[in-house]
Amino acid sequence: MKPLTRIILVEDDPDIQVVARLGLEAVGGFTVKLCSSGSEAIESAPDFAPDLILLDVMMPGMDGLSTLKALREMPKTVETPVIILSAKVQTHEVAHYKELGVLDVISKPFDPMTLPANIQNIWAQHYG
Amino acid sequence: MVSSPDCLREQFKILQKDYQQQLPSKIGHISEIWYRLLRRPDRVADWEKLHCLIHRMVGSGATFGMSELSETARRMEGYITDMMAMKSHPTAAQQALINTVLDELKQMAIGPQWQVIGGIVDQYSPEEKKEVKSRWRGEESWRNVKSKKLIVLIEYDEEQANDLRVQLSCFGYKISTVKELKGLKDAIEEMSPAAVIMDVMWPEGQMAGTEIIQEIQGSRNWPLPVLFISARDDLQARLQAVRAGGAAYFHKPVDIGSLIDKLDSLTAHETREPHRILIVDDELILATYHANILGKAGMVTEVVTDPMQVMKSLVDFKPELILMDMYMPGCNGLELASVIRQQDAYVSIPIVFLSVETNVEQQLTAMHLGGDEFLTKPIEAQHLIAEVKSRVERSRIVSSFMERDSLTGLLNHTKIKERLSIELTRAKRQQSPLAFAMIDIDCFKGVNDIFGHLIGDRVIKSLSRLLKQRLRKTDIIGRYGGEEFAVILPDTDAIGAAKVLNEIRSGFAKVRQLAQDNHEFSVTFSCGVAAFPEYSDANSLNEAADKALYQAKHSGRNQLALAGGGLS
Repeated sequence: MKPLTRIILVEDDPDIQVVARLGLEAVGGFTVKLCSSGSEAIESAPDFAPDLILLDVMMPGMDGLSTLKALREMPKTVETPVIILSAKVQTHEVAHYKELGVLDVISKPFDPMTLPANIQNIWAQHYG
Repeated sequence: MVSSPDCLREQFKILQKDYQQQLPSKIGHISEIWYRLLRRPDRVADWEKLHCLIHRMVGSGATFGMSELSETARRMEGYITDMMAMKSHPTAAQQALINTVLDELKQMAIGPQWQVIGGIVDQYSPEEKKEVKSRWRGEESWRNVKSKKLIVLIEYDEEQANDLRVQLSCFGYKISTVKELKGLKDAIEEMSPAAVIMDVMWPEGQMAGTEIIQEIQGSRNWPLPVLFISARDDLQARLQAVRAGGAAYFHKPVDIGSLIDKLDSLTAHETREPHRILIVDDELILATYHANILGKAGMVTEVVTDPMQVMKSLVDFKPELILMDMYMPGCNGLELASVIRQQDAYVSIPIVFLSVETNVEQQLTAMHLGGDEFLTKPIEAQHLIAEVKSRVERSRIVSSFMERDSLTGLLNHTKIKERLSIELTRAKRQQSPLAFAMIDIDCFKGVNDIFGHLIGDRVIKSLSRLLKQRLRKTDIIGRYGGEEFAVILPDTDAIGAAKVLNEIRSGFAKVRQLAQDNHEFSVTFSCGVAAFPEYSDANSLNEAADKALYQAKHSGRNQLALAGGGLS
């Protein structure tokens, strides 16, 4: 299976940042880089070289979809797998995100304890 | 780095607490922007900010264990996006919707789970707050004060108004009296009471009361809960009251007991207690998964991954059902079920086994050893929810027959004694105080002899109702026997308990009891209080409280005595 150790979490809500990071690091054992905005993610992604990017949709400034588009335009992140993290999940939206090439959508609120298992499952479906 | 589950849970708890503590200021911020927008609806940046903040709450609330908060925030987000799409000044209806949701959010922010004293919605005087703060160190204090519901009493007769006000205040309602019909509509709108009590007959007209209410009802979006009181008892008047949307009609002199019953049911937004499920599974991920499924169905869960820790959770979490994995290291499910069943207090708690076991023989053994049901993993979410729900519901019904006194609905003698020893064990472990009180209605035999048993039963019911209203949710009330009651007050010392019970005592003495032929009388009670750690086991607590009660009776009744001396 394709290795999954390094994750970038793009999330503007500081509350979610903290719990999600704790879950990802302590339960999942991942190495996590936090980005509070889309532009920060675009800046950090090439150097950090994540295996996966967790991307919030609704963020002030650059939203999730424009971030995704920008990532796809950069050579180093053109193929980096992305999972969407969103409180706004309707079936047609999920379909739309998938068309844009994201692995899957995890709906908020999520349980930080089971978030890593959730991610692993999605990962296994695609790269297992 | 992968940490131990216990340590992680601790960390999550800390984060959760932080989140809850910041909640009032977050909601304050949201409401600040909202009010700014009402003045300047053209500020797009503010709309975006508002949307962003409320959207965050949708995502974060349930992540921090507050799913209700998420849901409410989601509703508000819906309204906000609608308004943003409209690009015009919010309509009155939209404003009302947002204000209601904001109120709900504020209520949640000062909910019973946390101790924000001096929060954001402030209808209570500093004295009230101080009193509550000093009385209880427990978490429920806010709820007690907050839940004082406002009733508007509209009555021109000053004497009657005062009398009713005193009576109703004794039952924990906050009463505001209005003595004229002029400007009533605005006054009601402003106070937004939980219910209104309206006299039918006014100097302005025989039916002025019903007429004005009918008019007010007509102009409202949702009906105002109204109770009518009147000296008239004819069909015409009653019909008129129904047409004005009256929920009840009381002929004067009003029977306070029935009035309170009606008010209670009319203003109760009491949701049923969620089901409490203990999940015992050594696999954390699986346990969390099941907890998630049940949590989404509105149940409260606790996960134990070490079977050896089950006893602690039984006492602290007080589950109504145990969902148990069959095979665990150290001690398997069957053994654990037997151990739990060995204790009288847990003989009837449903235990549902969850296992990959398909061997029928093995399943039957599990049942024999005290399991109630055997579910095979993996189980579908719907199936799990249905199974657990129906088990708990049934067990609630059965246990209410077994544990409750049929007249008052309070715990019966056996059960309250059982609870005393459970609570005492907890108090010892947590090194917190615990008070135990015995209450006995004074000269109750006289009430029965003079007015009959029916009236006697009503007196008992009125005291039980008063105790339920005035004590915290965490306090445990039982009917010990005939006219004797017992109360367990966790986290409370003797002095604290005495203060509260004395308030209840003086409140009860003011309650007007109604006998046949409109004869009125009042009844008092005496009370004895003992506390842990002064008395360290259930028997000695019981005995000491009983002795103190005897002393209170002996010194003239209608008073409270502390074990080891001291009257108040």
